[in-house]
Amino acid sequence: MSGVLVVMEQQAGAWHRMSWETLAAGQQLAEQVGQPLYSAVVGQGVAALAGEAATKKLDKVHAVEHALLKDYTADGFTAALAQLIQAHAPSYVLFPHTYQVRDFAPKLAARFAASLISDVVAFHAGPVFVRQLFQGKLNADIRPAGAGPVFVSVQAGAFRAESLVEGAARVETFAPRLDAAEIRTKPHEPFREAARAVDLGAAELIVSVGRGIKEKDNIPVVEELAKAMGAELAASRPICDNGWLPMERQVGSSGQTVSPKMYMAVGISGAIQHLVGMKGSKTIVAINKDSNAPIFEVADYGIVGDLFEVVPALVEEVKKAKS
Amino acid sequence: MKIVVAIKQVPVRDSQLRIESDQRWIQEDDLGFEINEPDAYALEEALQLKEKHGGEVVALCAGPSRATQTIREALAKGADRAIHIEDDNLRDLDTFGIATLLAGAVKAEKPDLILTGLQSDDLGYGQTGVVLAELLGVPHATIIMQVEVQGGSIQVKRELEGGWFQHIEMPLPAVLTIQSGINKLRYATLMGIKKAKSKEIKSVTPAAAPAATAVLERVYVPQKSKQTQIFEGDAKSAAAKLVEKLKFEVRII
Amino acid sequence: MATTTFPIAKPKGGAFLLEQRQPHEVFTPEDFTDEHRAIGRATAEFFAKEVAPHLDTIQYEDKSVAVGIMRKSGELGLTGVIIPEKFGGMEMDLTSMMIVGENIAGDGSYAGWHAAHTGIGTLPILLFGTEEQKAKYLPKLASAEWVGAYCLSEPQAGSDALAIKTRAELSPDGKHYILNGQKMWITNGGYADLYTIFAKIDGEKFTAFIVERSFPGVQPGAEEKKMGIRGSSTTPIFLDNVKVPVENVLGEIGRGHIIAFNILNLGRLKLGPLAIGGCKDVIAIAAKYAKERKAFGKTISAFGMIQQKLAEMAIRTYIGESMSYRVVGMIESHLENFSWDAPDAAQTKLKAVEEYATESSYVKVFASEVLDFVVDEGVQIHGGYGFHQDYAVERAYRDSRINRIFEGTNEINRLLATGMLLKRAQRGALPLVQAVMKLQNELLSPPELNLGGPVGPFVAETKLVENAKKIGLMTLGIAFQKYMTTIDEQQELLASITDIMMNAFAMESGLLRAQKIAASGKNAQNATEMAAVFCREAMDSIEAAAKVALANCQEGDALRMSLAVLKRFAKYEPIDAIKLRRNIAARVLETGKYTV
Repeated sequence: MSGVLVVMEQQAGAWHRMSWETLAAGQQLAEQVGQPLYSAVVGQGVAALAGEAATKKLDKVHAVEHALLKDYTADGFTAALAQLIQAHAPSYVLFPHTYQVRDFAPKLAARFAASLISDVVAFHAGPVFVRQLFQGKLNADIRPAGAGPVFVSVQAGAFRAESLVEGAARVETFAPRLDAAEIRTKPHEPFREAARAVDLGAAELIVSVGRGIKEKDNIPVVEELAKAMGAELAASRPICDNGWLPMERQVGSSGQTVSPKMYMAVGISGAIQHLVGMKGSKTIVAINKDSNAPIFEVADYGIVGDLFEVVPALVEEVKKAKS
Repeated sequence: MKIVVAIKQVPVRDSQLRIESDQRWIQEDDLGFEINEPDAYALEEALQLKEKHGGEVVALCAGPSRATQTIREALAKGADRAIHIEDDNLRDLDTFGIATLLAGAVKAEKPDLILTGLQSDDLGYGQTGVVLAELLGVPHATIIMQVEVQGGSIQVKRELEGGWFQHIEMPLPAVLTIQSGINKLRYATLMGIKKAKSKEIKSVTPAAAPAATAVLERVYVPQKSKQTQIFEGDAKSAAAKLVEKLKFEVRII
Repeated sequence: MATTTFPIAKPKGGAFLLEQRQPHEVFTPEDFTDEHRAIGRATAEFFAKEVAPHLDTIQYEDKSVAVGIMRKSGELGLTGVIIPEKFGGMEMDLTSMMIVGENIAGDGSYAGWHAAHTGIGTLPILLFGTEEQKAKYLPKLASAEWVGAYCLSEPQAGSDALAIKTRAELSPDGKHYILNGQKMWITNGGYADLYTIFAKIDGEKFTAFIVERSFPGVQPGAEEKKMGIRGSSTTPIFLDNVKVPVENVLGEIGRGHIIAFNILNLGRLKLGPLAIGGCKDVIAIAAKYAKERKAFGKTISAFGMIQQKLAEMAIRTYIGESMSYRVVGMIESHLENFSWDAPDAAQTKLKAVEEYATESSYVKVFASEVLDFVVDEGVQIHGGYGFHQDYAVERAYRDSRINRIFEGTNEINRLLATGMLLKRAQRGALPLVQAVMKLQNELLSPPELNLGGPVGPFVAETKLVENAKKIGLMTLGIAFQKYMTTIDEQQELLASITDIMMNAFAMESGLLRAQKIAASGKNAQNATEMAAVFCREAMDSIEAAAKVALANCQEGDALRMSLAVLKRFAKYEPIDAIKLRRNIAARVLETGKYTV
């Protein structure tokens, strides 16, 4: 048993951006453990994507092809990848920690009587994998044990796609044996709730508000700051769940991923789900009462204090600076 | 319709966490515990489905004896009975091990539907429900926003990334992992608390579970990867310093 | 829902002075059942999610928002805790009611609404109403569909409640009483749907009436502009020829004072958990601020004097909490097999409460003064910010003050506490005189040499408690010898004696609780340290109070002899209280809250 297998994610012929980050993680892991690196692209008609993946430094790309893999299903993807893993017996299987991976990778790991070491942010010699506990308040080192392959998913933004080393690899098609009867779920077409009026992705400046705002009636406090700065107003999940701001303004894993010039998080503690949506921002400012809030882990600038005092003061200062 | 809800007890949100001296886990002495928030939404969804379609809601929890408190609260909110896989050393297991124990208990119940939260607030592996489905040999779907029962099958609304959703149909029995915020949580009522006293909690000694393939070796406070410049002083002076920085260095004002 | 089983005969009211209690004989919060804890958490969750976000609105904009919230809490059962199920209540024990009270006490205004409605607004009908009255009104009160209020005070009759002037006259057809007069300081007054109103029939017979807001002639006046609990409704109620059906007479004609006093007894006790709930909240607020606020390059929580404050806040809260639930448990010990179906159910409950009228007064006085201390230090820890409306501690400071005034001023309660002890002794219900004589004999014999007495944890504190009681008995005996039957008129003296006895009860309550925790095998270090510091502090105030009292009763050699005895009893080996308080503060800061 040898090799690091990176399972890359695509949707209707387009890459999930985290696929490259995961491949980068794969390159680093393969080098560390001194084993060959493989990747797999699962779907129907993925040859072109596989060819693209093969331009990076790795030993082989598996194009896992089958008509039943056209639409994602947990049953189909699990069966296909289980066969691939059985055939090639890698020591490590890496995934991007996407919603889709969360849906099938644990099932796949369970087939090999293993747990998925999910949402990993780093690995050290051993290898020992680092993942976050208590929504980022603590870290834990996880050491794999057991005889089978080690299944790992990688957190968004933990590894940089830019660090990928170029190269050339063979593409090999793998045709799993799948039976339509074993796919028990019937997926419908993905849809969006409503046309999006706000494109946070294009915003240069974002002021984002979280649980710290306490009440819907307080939203204007932060709205005024956004207006003064000429920024788009965004929010963390609880604010949109409560209906205090529309869903389209939500930043995070279930909302939009943004990378503005400046992201100001007001009263946002910084749960992982939020951080993955804004970590790529060029400058991050955090305003929070709790100096231990995880948001300060990613912030460039911070003010520890009551937002109801700090924000009005900021509005005043911004206006002064602009006049 | 018989629904099993797998719930977990976790430290109260925003607890002050202190690490044990052996660095294997946190100190639990002074901590308060509560139901894992996503599991609370799963329980609420189960209760609403029962109210709509009739049947029974069974709360299932693997945890130490202190978890009884959380189980009782699930009963107080309306679960009909509970199964407690009780052991003080469950921390030695990984999620595959825990799911194995849960699957054992679920099998005996032969439920139509198994619900759980999409992840736990403490470990956050986010896979117990999926593994449970695999071990039970039933279909599943994750991060569910809506559940509609249609006879012997269900249609669920699954959350995808970036504001996308998808409907999925599957036959029952099935496992669903529920997204937080999908419904409005009810409070435990005093009458519910009173009635919970006479509801059954079946305490089960865990069967042998597979040894962990993912061993939690060390817990520690993360080192900051980024240097954060904190502006001190009262609100006004801190705001002034920040704005100066944003104007002259970051140049966005 | 029995709380706990007491292994001893139920203690007599006031008997704590004469008997030595064992740790297992007292009820403590550690004895709460799982249900009690669940009730506490459910209430706290409701408060955090439904009340806390609206505090500013309730206080500054629209106090009636609290009514809607209270109705919502009714759906959870929070407004009908002890009401029988057949009248729409939860039919739970007193402990449960106290726990609910403690957990809604995070805001003085909301606590005012809740406590007035569920206490004085509901209890008169629950405990004195006929089956018909209960069936008619209790379900509405249990759900808070109707808000209840209690109208005793008048502009000229506050502490001297029996001096009320509101009149009731029977109508010529004998079907109604016609009420005329004015009530004052009516909590929930502006929004209540149902009032228990006290009036004198024909200007003589002190009687309670159930009066619906919709009866013509009932008119609440303007809201009072109060120092604190500004989000609570307080108005006068004007009664202008209000026709009240005769079947709405509550209890017996001419015996309204029985209702008034009994309801107050329970109200006083309930004020304990309410005040303690407030204390816990302020400790958490102050600890949080101390950990955030920086001065001289470190957080102020690192400073010794801030730590001493936090520790002292925790210590007194611990003692107040121990006293409150100890008395609750004493009452519950009489109600072990209580059932509302028994013909004398209400009587049984009332008698159990009345038995501990003295102890309930101690709880009221002690807990309200602890809260005042805690909010005061809370403001101090906040410095200038504590003086600012934007900080929760400012509101808590103003809200606290009323607790020393309502439910009988602390002055009235100090008089009552010792007055009731003396009455019990007169009735032969408490062998107080015998105990005083026994003590006097003991004092005449030479003091036993304390050679190689027992040592170990709690020994010194146990001796302090024993001596505190002796000082109380000695002072009472000497005061009685001097003033005999006119002692009632010696207010200052009675108050001093109450302070001694109350402190003895407080010391013992904290100490027994620490011992009980230790005996259960749990970590009792914090409780032990809090009890140790308090016992010594309290002994100092006992000694000071006794000196004042003795000097008022004796002179010359007699006084000198008494003072020598006092000195002997009050003596103790000092401990390093600064160090212990630092430990206690560390615990508060570490957990961010009051913890035992």
